[in-house]
Amino acid sequence: MRDERSYRVALVADRYVNPEPGQLDGLAVLAAAGWGVMQLPDEGYPAEVARPLLAEVAEQVEEFSRRGYAFVLVGERDGLAEALALVGVAVPDRTVPASAAELREFLAVQPAPPALAATAARE
Amino acid sequence: MGVAFVAHCLLNQNSKVGDGAHCAGVYSPIVDVLRARGWRIEQMPCPELAFAGLNRFWAVREQYDTAAFRRHCRRLATAVAGAIAARVQQGEEIVLVGVEGSPSMGVTITSSDPERGGRPAWPDGSPELTGGEGIFVEELHAELDRRGITFRVAGETHAIPGHDEAGQRARLEAVLEHRDA
Repeated sequence: MRDERSYRVALVADRYVNPEPGQLDGLAVLAAAGWGVMQLPDEGYPAEVARPLLAEVAEQVEEFSRRGYAFVLVGERDGLAEALALVGVAVPDRTVPASAAELREFLAVQPAPPALAATAARE
Repeated sequence: MGVAFVAHCLLNQNSKVGDGAHCAGVYSPIVDVLRARGWRIEQMPCPELAFAGLNRFWAVREQYDTAAFRRHCRRLATAVAGAIAARVQQGEEIVLVGVEGSPSMGVTITSSDPERGGRPAWPDGSPELTGGEGIFVEELHAELDRRGITFRVAGETHAIPGHDEAGQRARLEAVLEHRDA
């Protein structure tokens, strides 16, 4: 079976995954562009709920980073920078898009993931 | 309507074990059903990704059933259960959408082979599927039971013989609507 992964992962604020009517559907744009999504905790969660979820996000980002996957941040999330710092990962390139076109343009200019080049070289 | 807590890989196929990614990123057949029905989506962590890494081998439940992996799963389950409890307090219904056949994320079907180990080679078609929950789902189930939280389950079924998207969709819709498929 052919593995279809893109080696591209977007950390995505909840409001782009569960948009209010009329707001930007970031998940749909990312899906169409072939990016995987790591959803960030809803801003409405109290800190004691969000903090451990952010810690798990950071631990997974650390593994993607170590293996040469590309990752970006779509939106923002309080506490994310601190969680990433604890695993030694910098906040990635970020956008806070107001439109689907803006998000598509941001994704289109991202460099190719090192892991993708390594996989292509092996094949 | 309510909140669907979905397996990590349903939004991010990059987390899959090698050769396991069905698409580039977001697995839309599940996401589309949830959104069409007005369900909120919340993504759970992948239990295997941070523990065994992106270069992990395919494995069955017995290979992951170690004290260390269970501690890892309990930590994740406690974090996820905190979010679920917050939603329950808001009066939301909860559905867990797992991955059938997964040693970690299976909700009614997991994988089992008590003899598997050593050099990773085995014949295709090994009869490893068996009824039951994956290890993370089992730990989350225990944590939610401890908190008195009830939930329903559905699963993505690519790994199950005879998988078809129409059947998968029908089963998910039945769970969302709280009726028999």
